[in-house]
Amino acid sequence: MAKQYPNYDYVPCMACGICVQACPFSCLELRRTGLDTYRKAYPDLARREDCTGCGICASSCPVDAIRMGE
Amino acid sequence: MKGYLGKVLLIDLSKGTWDSQDIPETVYEGLLSGVGLGAYYLYRHIPVGADPLGPDNILGFTSGLLTGTGSFMTGRWMAVCKSPLTGGWGDSNCGGTLAPAIKQCGYDAIFFRGISPESVYVYVDNKGPQIRDAAAYWGMDAVEAEKALIRDHLKAEGGSKKKPEVAVIGPGGEKLSRIAGISNDLGRYAARSGVGAVMGSKRLKALVLAGTRAVRPSDPEGMKRLSGVFASTVRKANLPGLFTGAVFPIMGGLMGGLPSAVPLDGMLSAMMFKKFGSIMNNTYGMTNGDSPVKNWDGSVKDFPAYRALNPDRIRRREVRKYHCYACILGCGGVCDIRDLSGGNGEHTHKPEYETCMAFGGLVLNKDLDSIFRINDTLNRAGLDTISVGGTVAFAVECFENGILTPADTGGLELRWGNARAIEALVEKICAREGIGDLLADGAKLAAERIGKGSERFAVHAGGQELPMHDPRVDPMMGVTYSADPTPGRHTTSGNLYYSQSSLWDYVSWAPKVRIHPKSQDFEPTETEALRNVAMTAFKMLVDGTGSCYYAMLMGVQHFPIFEYLNAATGWNRTPDEYMEAGKRIQTLRQAFNAKHGVDVRAFRMHDRASGIPPASEGHNRGVTLRIDEMIRQYRRAWGWDVETGLPTRETFESLGLSALPGLEYTHG
Ligand code: SF4
Ligand code: SF4
Ligand code: SF4
Repeated sequence: MAKQYPNYDYVPCMACGICVQACPFSCLELRRTGLDTYRKAYPDLARREDCTGCGICASSCPVDAIRMGE
Repeated sequence: MKGYLGKVLLIDLSKGTWDSQDIPETVYEGLLSGVGLGAYYLYRHIPVGADPLGPDNILGFTSGLLTGTGSFMTGRWMAVCKSPLTGGWGDSNCGGTLAPAIKQCGYDAIFFRGISPESVYVYVDNKGPQIRDAAAYWGMDAVEAEKALIRDHLKAEGGSKKKPEVAVIGPGGEKLSRIAGISNDLGRYAARSGVGAVMGSKRLKALVLAGTRAVRPSDPEGMKRLSGVFASTVRKANLPGLFTGAVFPIMGGLMGGLPSAVPLDGMLSAMMFKKFGSIMNNTYGMTNGDSPVKNWDGSVKDFPAYRALNPDRIRRREVRKYHCYACILGCGGVCDIRDLSGGNGEHTHKPEYETCMAFGGLVLNKDLDSIFRINDTLNRAGLDTISVGGTVAFAVECFENGILTPADTGGLELRWGNARAIEALVEKICAREGIGDLLADGAKLAAERIGKGSERFAVHAGGQELPMHDPRVDPMMGVTYSADPTPGRHTTSGNLYYSQSSLWDYVSWAPKVRIHPKSQDFEPTETEALRNVAMTAFKMLVDGTGSCYYAMLMGVQHFPIFEYLNAATGWNRTPDEYMEAGKRIQTLRQAFNAKHGVDVRAFRMHDRASGIPPASEGHNRGVTLRIDEMIRQYRRAWGWDVETGLPTRETFESLGLSALPGLEYTHG
């Protein structure tokens, strides 16, 4: 099976940063703006090369906004 | 796992040793974690007579019981110590990113005792702590030092792959300024109680955390359900787009003019915090009498230009929102200050209401750019903006009254509203240069140094400068300013907070609020005192769990703290039972003062804040609080000695404090 990466659904995502701090390799960053009128910064896979596909980020999200996939 | 780790780390900086210590389960059951765990540890281990800036003081960094458990708005940490500012119990709350990082290292709290012979920082990861030389970082400002520490750890050979989270002091803490704080995430602050001076006294520049351990609640599914509902409520809480900053003065005037206030749903204020942050109060507080003006001696009439602080003007610089860890509201903002900083940085945290008012109305300054610069200067220097603002206002009033002269100020014309002189004075305080050295430990000590009757202009409670909320509008807050174990603090209790809490629907003994009277009709009754006890006990739960005070303001019908606690711990307790833990924490904080022989009667706030003598103009004209009677009622309601203000042995024991391992009632 190919490596799985986090894919975000920004509708339920609250930009809370829990997933960002859960990642043991700091691959994620709160850097995506322009998704709402508040200018909130949403998480994004910023360092794909460091991602191990462990899925810790996805399981840390309280509102299931992350799906692991290609 | 029950959300906590059951372990703390003690680092002795004099000896260069460390020790991982198990904390008995009963301590968490009795006092939760966070401030409760901090109070437990410090009560036991700081010897009577310890100098706050000496080796015997202990500085703790505590996480909340709910931090990292999948709950929302529970990512705040607390610094705890014996305060060099008040001489008694000290704590300070901060958001940012540090709280989960403490737990990810495998501890609920990290404590420091002793004094290092050289400047050091402490690095902790899954393998444990290391004490490292900080010569390369000492002297750097708090923002640059944090950036450098993160950069150096990410690139180090064999260094962590995880970006470390950092708590750091600036030069203010290094120079032992008693109004120094501790920074995290580039300028979020544990600002109060002088915690930064304690860190500086230990020659500890920074704490750098890079652990990756998991934290788990007892009931992950239950946790998820609660967070799902909470998130959807906050997601839907939005102000109409047409609601701009221009509305606030009108709203403040209207609300301030009503003869009494009805409790509002906390989600209404959440909507405003979500859009504006705390600066929503900049002009609202001016028109409803909440914001102190002219060092607490004026009113909005003295500051007709107050609209210069319109929150829309501040939001124009906001390039994105800022959320502390696990926050779904996001009251913070990152602001672009390239045109203001003279090349010293591009971005800064959005100034808070407290800062805007401390350097706005309090000194009659309408120059918003200067407030942005001062905010950034103080965040970098590592000083508390409230205390520096209060101290600057004191100095200006001294100057206006001829107590300070240009010869004392190095030529600065310290007049009301003179933004340039005020900025220059802030720089001097940061550098401890000239008159800045005299002022760098806060208004109370400055008045002692200056003499000449200047103490009448030093507006503080027990040595801590008052926050920017006038108790003549919220009398319960005045009692908290004057009688809490950490005096002069606005985040603990107040009429407004309580009226939004909905606690009475959950806690059997919490008195309901239907309508609360305005200050002039306010009676110091037993019921009022009991409301304050309920609010304060609740705030201790908030601080024991790592929750944000803006979550608290939403009310327990929205922020499910009791349900969260049960899902995290599996204890399955009632709100009444949790509130007992809150009461225990509060009494233990005051018992710390008792043990250390602190005269808490001296915590009574400056007379101006009580309306003694009454103001002749403005919203609060003619209002005088019956503050002494209110304080007595408050102490009685807690079961503390009405005259000395200290907990009695009976109260200490009946709350079950003496049943906790190693806790003994001691009266210094
Ligand atoms: S944890 Fe979930 S809600 Fe929070 S930022 Fe990540 S994806 Fe969004
Ligand atoms: S899958 Fe693992 S490594 Fe990749 S972003 Fe998520 S937590 Fe990080
Ligand atoms: S509401 Fe504001 S202070 Fe509270 S956790 Fe969120 S961002 Fe931090």
